[in-house]
Amino acid sequence: MAQVKIDNVIKRYGSLQVMHGVNVDINDGEFVVLVGPSGCGKSTLLRMLAGLEEISDGTISIGERVVNDVPPKERDIAMVFQSYALYPHKTVYDNIGFPLKMAKRPQDEIDRKVTGAADILDLTKYLKRYPKELSGGQRQRVAMGRAIVRDPQVFLFDEPLSNLDAKLRVTMRVEIKELHQRLGTTIVYVTHDQIEAMTMADKIVVMRDGRVEQIGAPLDLYDNPANIFVAGFIGSPSMNFVHGQIVNEGGVRQFRSDNGLMLPLPDTSAPDGTKVTYGIRPEHITIADHGVPLRVVVVEPTGSETQVFAKHGTDFIDAMVKDRFKAAPNSEVRFAIDPANVHLFDRETEQRL
Amino acid sequence: MQSNRLGWILLAPTLAILFFFGVLPFIYVVYVSFHQWNPFAADPTMIFNGADNFRKIVFDAEFLNSVGVTVLFVLFAVISELVVGYILAQAFMKEFPGKAIFRTIHTLPLIMAPIIVGSVWKLMMTPSIGIIPHYLNEWFGITVNIGTSPVAAFATIIIMDIWHWTPLVTLTLIAALVSLPPDPFEQAQIDGANKRQIFFHITVPMIAPAVVATVFIRLMDALRTVDEVWMLTGGGPGSATRFVGVHIFKEVFPKTNYGYGSTISVIVLYLTIVACWLLYVTMLAPRSKKD
Ligand SMILES: Nc1ncnc2c1ncn2[C@@H]1O[C@H](COP(=O)(O)OP(=O)(O)OP(=O)(O)O)[C@@H](O)[C@H]1O
Ligand SMILES: [Mg+2]
Repeated sequence: MAQVKIDNVIKRYGSLQVMHGVNVDINDGEFVVLVGPSGCGKSTLLRMLAGLEEISDGTISIGERVVNDVPPKERDIAMVFQSYALYPHKTVYDNIGFPLKMAKRPQDEIDRKVTGAADILDLTKYLKRYPKELSGGQRQRVAMGRAIVRDPQVFLFDEPLSNLDAKLRVTMRVEIKELHQRLGTTIVYVTHDQIEAMTMADKIVVMRDGRVEQIGAPLDLYDNPANIFVAGFIGSPSMNFVHGQIVNEGGVRQFRSDNGLMLPLPDTSAPDGTKVTYGIRPEHITIADHGVPLRVVVVEPTGSETQVFAKHGTDFIDAMVKDRFKAAPNSEVRFAIDPANVHLFDRETEQRL
Repeated sequence: MQSNRLGWILLAPTLAILFFFGVLPFIYVVYVSFHQWNPFAADPTMIFNGADNFRKIVFDAEFLNSVGVTVLFVLFAVISELVVGYILAQAFMKEFPGKAIFRTIHTLPLIMAPIIVGSVWKLMMTPSIGIIPHYLNEWFGITVNIGTSPVAAFATIIIMDIWHWTPLVTLTLIAALVSLPPDPFEQAQIDGANKRQIFFHITVPMIAPAVVATVFIRLMDALRTVDEVWMLTGGGPGSATRFVGVHIFKEVFPKTNYGYGSTISVIVLYLTIVACWLLYVTMLAPRSKKD
């Protein structure tokens, strides 16, 4: 168990800089999830934590120790690679048991831990097989097994569930949370999956283009996104954005989009005429008679909820409503918005107002 | 059916060549090995003598000696070539100035004919004119004469073989190392393996197929080394470097013992196959069996 401190870390590949001063503080025992679009540097950051990638500038410390120059095997970390990285010439059993064997643990301990992990991961049937005889999801579970037989200072997971089917993914998610609660080990976890991020994390780090955009508890990021990027990235389906400005018509302050769509404005100190981007989450919109009139584009029922896409000119807004709803394309629909749920962003800086 | 016939037609030239230049001569050698035959004698007819030649081999002290010498030579040469070849391959995996030139020079011995290699080394080793005995004497005060010292002759042949064939091993090992995926090596570091453990647990098993293939090639080649040795020592001094290839050559050409020479060839082929099979069983089969 250890705290991890990532201090102003920069990564360059030759003249190409891909990480521009990343700062993240991870408390002892915390479950931190890294999210961000493809290519933003999540794997690179994880690999720097593991010691597989040189740190061009800044420092990383694990526990009290600065590890910039500590080789991977002395960092006491377990990692699950995005590419699984199984040993092709070893059986599932030997793959999972490899770290224990390298640590010269007694054979009965290896036996007990490997069979235990195989049990959790539903791999017991496959212990004698070779990686090439496994499906993608099974390989991914072997990679998980190799990590969880250890008791490291920090777990690093790079999209460890990306190749599992929906059901197994839920099971594994619960297993990992349970593992975390049982061992209390610090975990850094990369994922593309919104639900994984929201449900597992104590703290989410949102990255973009080698920079940290915001760090916070899941609901914190959901309720108070720092900028348009985070607002759009956290939450699924993602937030609606409408560009326009604040207007005052007969003493009533409102938002008017560039297309003339009028929407209710929350309390804000921004003066009239401020150019803003208006953000509202689909799940915060209801259909009601007092709502704003729009034209239906398409209606997508998902069973439990219905997603209604509507437009006004070139402003598109979609709503996620609980009730079943049917409407012909181009018919009128009224979206009711509670101003308390509205987020306003500066149009220039894209920062929250 | 149609594509099957086309396949055979396309294969036919290769099969024909294989048959006429591989299978037929082999059958002929086996046939000759059951005869007594000296085509240059007054009576050049082949006389069938059953298994006499094979019986004779068992009591042929010179042949048995040559097998011993050959095995020793093959062990020393092939193991050294593997070790040196691996070290060079690892060196070539890294970047250093002049790497391309060095790599080219290093492969030059490969393109030389064995007979040339033999004569160059003979020139370099001849006492009083050769560069190697000269400097060995001047720098270390060692006198070497491959004409009189069995050990010197044997060692020189091994060094010559290493010089000649290590580049082949290096090239195949470079190819094997380059094609290795990086992830298992990174994962092994994370799993706490040190350099030695990574070498034995990851590198060796992953390049084993290439190593075995290289050893096969080198083993078969080394077992029938003739021309270099013939040129350098002629099999001497005494019978210190009289490898089976040289032995067969001496039986067949100076002694014109075609029948008996063929018999030795067949036996040597058999021994080679056994050696390769043992190698295969010990190095590769355990893995495929576990599958
Ligand atoms: N060896 C390398 N040389 C040059 N650039 C690299 C190298 N490895 C990664 N990059 C670049 O660094 C950036 C971050 O890559 P990284 O693999 O960390 O992304 P990621 O966030 O993990 O993406 P994904 O979600 O697709 O896995 C990318 O723009 C990538 O092109
Ligand atoms: Mg990645």
